[in-house]
Amino acid sequence: MDMLAQILSSGIAVGMIYAVIAFGFQLTFATSGTLNFGQGEALMLGALVGLTCVDTLGMNYWAMIPVVCLFGMLQGSFVELIGVRPAIKIKSEFGWIMSTIALGIIFKNVAENVWGRDALPFPPPLPMEPMSFLGANILPMEILVVVGALVMMLLVEFFNRKTIYGKAVVATANDRDAAGLMGINTSMVITFSYALSSLTAAFAGVLIAPLTLTGATMGGALGLKAFAVAIIGGLSSGMGIIVGGLILGIVETATGFYFSTGYKDVPGLILLLLVLAYKPSGLFGKSAIKKV
Amino acid sequence: MMKLKSHLPLLAAIVGLIGLPLFVENPYYIHLAETILIYTILLFGLDIVVGYVGQVSLGHAGLFGIGSYTAGILFFHLGWPVWATIPASIIVTAIFGGILALPALKVIGPYLAMVTLAFGTIAQILINEMSWLTEGPLGIKLTLPELMGTTMTASEYFWLVAAITILALIVVDRFVKSQMGRAFEALRDSPVACDCMGVSVYRFKVIAFVISAGFAGLAGCLYAYSEQYISPNTYNNELAVLFLLAIIMGGRKSRLGAAIGAAIIVLLPKLLDDINLFRIVASIIAIVVTLGAVLALSKKITTPKRVAIPVAGVVGLAAFSFWLNSIADWRLSIFGFMILLVVYYLQNGIVGFAKTFYLAITGKTKTTVGEATAENTDSSVDFISAVGNKNTGAELLKVESVLMQFGGLKALNNVDLSIKRGTIHGLIGPNGSGKSTMMNVLTGIYIPTAGNVLYADESVVGKTSSEIALSGIARTFQNVQLFGEMTALQNILVGLHHTFKSNMLDIALHLPRYLREERDARNRAMALLKFVGLEDLANEEARNLPYGKQRLLEIARALALDPELLLLDEPAAGLTAPDIKELLRIIRKIRDNGITFILIEHHMDVVMSVCDTVSVLDFGQKIAEGKPAEVQADEKVIHAYLGA
Repeated sequence: MDMLAQILSSGIAVGMIYAVIAFGFQLTFATSGTLNFGQGEALMLGALVGLTCVDTLGMNYWAMIPVVCLFGMLQGSFVELIGVRPAIKIKSEFGWIMSTIALGIIFKNVAENVWGRDALPFPPPLPMEPMSFLGANILPMEILVVVGALVMMLLVEFFNRKTIYGKAVVATANDRDAAGLMGINTSMVITFSYALSSLTAAFAGVLIAPLTLTGATMGGALGLKAFAVAIIGGLSSGMGIIVGGLILGIVETATGFYFSTGYKDVPGLILLLLVLAYKPSGLFGKSAIKKV
Repeated sequence: MMKLKSHLPLLAAIVGLIGLPLFVENPYYIHLAETILIYTILLFGLDIVVGYVGQVSLGHAGLFGIGSYTAGILFFHLGWPVWATIPASIIVTAIFGGILALPALKVIGPYLAMVTLAFGTIAQILINEMSWLTEGPLGIKLTLPELMGTTMTASEYFWLVAAITILALIVVDRFVKSQMGRAFEALRDSPVACDCMGVSVYRFKVIAFVISAGFAGLAGCLYAYSEQYISPNTYNNELAVLFLLAIIMGGRKSRLGAAIGAAIIVLLPKLLDDINLFRIVASIIAIVVTLGAVLALSKKITTPKRVAIPVAGVVGLAAFSFWLNSIADWRLSIFGFMILLVVYYLQNGIVGFAKTFYLAITGKTKTTVGEATAENTDSSVDFISAVGNKNTGAELLKVESVLMQFGGLKALNNVDLSIKRGTIHGLIGPNGSGKSTMMNVLTGIYIPTAGNVLYADESVVGKTSSEIALSGIARTFQNVQLFGEMTALQNILVGLHHTFKSNMLDIALHLPRYLREERDARNRAMALLKFVGLEDLANEEARNLPYGKQRLLEIARALALDPELLLLDEPAAGLTAPDIKELLRIIRKIRDNGITFILIEHHMDVVMSVCDTVSVLDFGQKIAEGKPAEVQADEKVIHAYLGA
């Protein structure tokens, strides 16, 4: 029972991180039908920039968060401008897939050269003594991860639903051509969705960093698994990614515990393959009717 | 004589490969050349998926690893000889390719890229973790294979790899030029039309992945012996990206392109090890691109705006190379930068670019490829299989109260139809009345919510589009669905796919069965083109044909399927008056062969002049049926068309 509670609590924290990154995938997919294959690298850069702010510049953890968010927005806009916009213009799917992968590789390499190849510890903002809860040891940081992830998603949802700028995003997501005809600058909206997407990833980076180590290679696996979550949940379902994230986080923690940590990435990826084979629109997604 | 000339490059390559170990003493260079050959084999296979089927695969590093480890494990644990490990590697990897294809079938584009990426990641993790089988991170050591009791020398192994590469080249070339290669390209250009031509998209995607994986397995096996040591870290996702870069950079759908791409990705890392060499090469590239741009500008082929960014990019790269002290750390960035340049400025690869550049500079227009000419049309070929006058007037197709519901919308609401053999049945109605939905139900693209469709007394509900097509229902599409990048002749050959019985072995060895089928199909395709008056455009890519010709080509392609029932969805839309006259002639001629029609059309004069019976749909319901003249006078029909 204690073990189960432990696995659940750790799994939920990891799962929420996946959900936040997956949320970033959803944002760009909705507006432009494209995904940033370098999403994991956006998270990694956010974490490393955060580390520099805290360590080198001596900033407070909480004061650093807005700086990292701003950085994330700039990074996301850059990716959209260099990698995605030209591809959308020439309607080349291959183009944006390859160019976001290429940008991801470049970011990782730059990070290696700036911050070094070693994984670095991130000073935690909260005490690292575990609290006992229902027999499980829970770190205060894990609670912060869950709360932070939920708040971030709710803020973006609130923005989309209640503000006029958010309405532009939703309109573009529904029908880009019609939105363009209504005077919405859709290419700006797409850039903005990339900025927002990288912002959530960078934020997720500084949330998870104190729990793991920070380094240039931290992003790759996270990005891929977040994609698995986005697919499992459905690329259009907000509820789906939270459920998908939790499923994956818990399954993974359990695998790491009962088998070996070496295998812990495997079940998530197999789940991804199974969902795509049987219900490509995701567990919570709606399938589209093809028009001929 | 022609034949010898076209084989000349191949012969030169063979001579070069035999000669290389004799004249190059340094084993390092032989090993480099060997690695290039091995990557070339893999890229032949990857090109089938990327170039021909048009899908992104990031799983080929994983497949390459599976091939290597199959050989490594069989050698290490069981001591198998090379002649057994090569086929084993091919088969095992091909099976994994089939497994990869299963989830990949239902998804396209970015999903597929991620699926294959996930597959590659899983493969690498498993190789790393299953130490009892793979020795885990320690890796497996191999020795060069034995030949007649003694271990091969490096040169001998190089010759073996070279011989296998040449074989692979011939086999791939034959595959992609056969009906199989045409099926791959067809499913890339229009999956829907491909299914409706009786070529199952599902089946051929799996076949493409399996063949492609087989080549990856072969390459992996040869690589294991060549390196004499394998470890899991080699087969990472960056290698998969590298393979993709090689394919795009070299040039898709080109064997030469694959070889160039392989050479680039093998030599590039070596180049990037040496800062001085890199500076020289970066400068040369910058100069060549700049000169090329100036030349192109002076001949007014391109505009300053278009060349500005690539020129700035390569000049920047050269400047960057002089700023750097050590290159090793920045290798991946340079590599990423190259992908960006290639993706946007070298989409057709070096081979494609060289071709267009050469044509532009010399001022020649693009010559169409293909050997078919209008002269060698054999007019005696029986191009329409006559269904004959069997049971004219009997019921061929029966639609029983079909309901097709999309959410709350009833696109078809309890519609009954009865189509008699040998007749032309018109289906008319205002826009959005459900005519095209009916076509899609009949051809299996939609599965009706309720009701039944009986074709020759058999239900077609639940059958796949390609099964229905093969049972004798062919169609054209309202918005033309040709295979755009294929020639008019090839489009028809896809329709004739069902006439091929030959298998992969027949194709690889060019056995008589395959050669005969290919020759017959080509003759019949030319005859069909002549029938619709397109014989002079046989070698033109379908997307370059004028709209009216495209519609005629679609009809000819549908006829290639030997249908009993032909569904034409607005064949006269966008046609000029003389074209319509020609269309009517063609329709009547086909009907005289006993083929039954369902004709959706908005041109009332067309409908009234050829149809035997007309059904009218409005808001998903049948509101009238009868002889053209009767329907024309029907109150309800007039009301539906003109309102109030």
